[in-house]
Amino acid sequence: MKDKVVIAISGGVDSSVAALLLKEQGHEVVGITMCLGVAAEVGGHTKCCGPREIEDARRVCQILEIPHYTMDFSGDLEEHIVRTFIEEYARGRTPNPCVACNRHIKFGTLLDKVTAMGFDFIATGHYAKMERKEGRSALARSREARKDQTYFLHAIKREALDRIRFPLADLTKEEVRQIARANRLPVSDKQESQDICFIPEEGYGAFLRSRSIDVKPGQFVDREGNVLGIHRGYALYTTGQRARLGGWSGEPLYVLAIDAKKNRVVVGGKADLLAPGLAAERVNLLVDDLPARCVAKIRYAHRGAACRVDFDGDLLRVVFDEPQDAITPGQYVVLYDDGFVLGGGVIREALT
Amino acid sequence: MRLIEWKTMKRIYLDHAATTPVDPEVIEAMLPFFRETFGNPSSIHSFGQQARSAVEGAREMVASFMGAKPAEIVFTSGGTESNNFAIKGIAWANRKKGNHIITSAIEHHAVMEPCRFLEREGFEVTFLSVDSRGLVDPCDVEKAITDRTILVSIMHANNEIGTLQPIAEIGKIARECGVCFHTDAVQTFGHVPFTVDELNVDLLSLSAHKLYGPKGVGVLYVRKGTRMEPHMHGGEQEGKRRASTHNVPGIVGLSKAVELAGKTMPGEEARIAGLRDKLIRGIFDRVDDVRLNGHPERRLANNVNVSITYCEGEAMLLSLDLMGIACSTGSACSSTSVEPSHVLRAIGLSVEETRGSLRFSLGRHTEDHEIDRLLDVLPGIVRRLRAMSPAYRSMTAGRGAGG
Repeated sequence: MKDKVVIAISGGVDSSVAALLLKEQGHEVVGITMCLGVAAEVGGHTKCCGPREIEDARRVCQILEIPHYTMDFSGDLEEHIVRTFIEEYARGRTPNPCVACNRHIKFGTLLDKVTAMGFDFIATGHYAKMERKEGRSALARSREARKDQTYFLHAIKREALDRIRFPLADLTKEEVRQIARANRLPVSDKQESQDICFIPEEGYGAFLRSRSIDVKPGQFVDREGNVLGIHRGYALYTTGQRARLGGWSGEPLYVLAIDAKKNRVVVGGKADLLAPGLAAERVNLLVDDLPARCVAKIRYAHRGAACRVDFDGDLLRVVFDEPQDAITPGQYVVLYDDGFVLGGGVIREALT
Repeated sequence: MRLIEWKTMKRIYLDHAATTPVDPEVIEAMLPFFRETFGNPSSIHSFGQQARSAVEGAREMVASFMGAKPAEIVFTSGGTESNNFAIKGIAWANRKKGNHIITSAIEHHAVMEPCRFLEREGFEVTFLSVDSRGLVDPCDVEKAITDRTILVSIMHANNEIGTLQPIAEIGKIARECGVCFHTDAVQTFGHVPFTVDELNVDLLSLSAHKLYGPKGVGVLYVRKGTRMEPHMHGGEQEGKRRASTHNVPGIVGLSKAVELAGKTMPGEEARIAGLRDKLIRGIFDRVDDVRLNGHPERRLANNVNVSITYCEGEAMLLSLDLMGIACSTGSACSSTSVEPSHVLRAIGLSVEETRGSLRFSLGRHTEDHEIDRLLDVLPGIVRRLRAMSPAYRSMTAGRGAGG
């Protein structure tokens, strides 16, 4: 069955190889690069969605002989992603804009648009798998666990899953690079971007200040409120991060909490980071019902921890078998069972 | 929609304002100047003399077409260079006289950017606003002129919305005030009949590839007695006004294209205007909430520019292109900017309306059935895209409630 598929192509090696695979499978493929209005870097290296990336994406599509277009999503980026990102920082939380982008833009507005244009599917270069389970589409981890990106995909609306393809599901990053090299795609050796695309290279501080977040020195305090030192601005810290205080000679200190209103960063010893569980809000489910027990990841690099889950109204309560450290408000908790993604939500607070 | 044929399908080209296909007769005329008559017109020998003869013949052809003298024709690399040369050449030559330039808010980038460059060099530029149909008011030009004004530059027809400006009137005012007057006629030369004297212009830019000639060649008409500072320095070509070895095949191609335009212009423009009006009527009959951008009467015969609300130009353009119909939009995301069209903003469109803009520009080979095909597919594309627009849904729901 030949389908009409849009590949969301960024100019990186992953989406380029995904486009190639779709073409080889015989689908009618069109490449679309999302233009997010991210300003071109002067001098330094380019970022995702910059002019250089769009040129790379165009070149790959020319080589693959598929049509290529760019579409402007700068308005959506501002409305759905950047505004929330700033609001979350203002509340002292550490947001994850990539999750929101996948929900609202890639697999939201873009998917709706290409559906309206008559396409059957949208595909991306994510390391993730779309499987069928009990007659429904189910999101599953990619073969290479180290590269698995389902953490960033868990918030996609469930009804969108039927229209999504992940051509790299069974490949490792190395295999993807080999395919790119074997097919002489000019992006085979490109470095991965790890940064948030709309944060300029001058860094978080400059960006947050430009969006009226007050980044100014404040106090490091312990749980009892004793002042231990001076920090550079609460928005530059995240829960679990090592806090370096000038002149501090005691045990290493870690960020336990952030008080945006008072511009205070609460610090404590490593043991103080541990919490038995968490409460999460804005929960998105990709299954009908949650099992009583499953595995939870509390950040992208987290290995996952066995837990019990239940709902308290709209609030998801996760209680770990073993206490976990650095539970960060604003980050996501994502639930897994047997390699399948059950859903997830935004961490509101650690349970005590 | 079948994409399999994307590379080979029969296509409908409705983007003649961007560029036109080179006429086969033009190609034929150019070929000998790549092969046998390849000489450098600046050379003294017979090879050079033959090439020179071709260039001078072309100069006479272009000059007579616009009622100019051959010595007033300067060959350039195209419209952008002609505009740059006109504006910088006048500004630099008249530095002592004044530093004020008047232009409009809807000029092509090839006029806007040289003006902005000169602003950084210390010149003052007035960007005149236009009315909702894209017209410059000649009275505004008159009011803007000061004793420091050295140049007025107003385009003949706008490339996006097709509005034809009252160039003759503006030229008359400029002349009475003793100010040099330039017009960018890239969209009109060879399409709209005129002479430089009728238009009262001192400088006029044109480009070959907008009239079925090759890319990379154009002309700047410079009225005799107009002082210009060269912007290309080197050899003594073009009466020392523009150095660079002549692009002989290009110049010959331009000349042939002008000759062909002279033969076809009157009948062709009427035919194309008929298709244009059919397309405008057809869109208004089949799609609701459409607005025609530009002037209802004073517009290029080949230009249709509409804003289709709650429908993104990009998505419509992409859908049409996948069906083999090529057009353009005022809100395209290029690799360097996502700025909506300055022209559409200048005639008062909201950002939302610029996003829903589409430009169809017809040409010599546009046929009736191609317009029919476009009118067949466009309503369905609009309907599907609007169905996913929350704003359109709530707007139509509101209408229903209101009866």
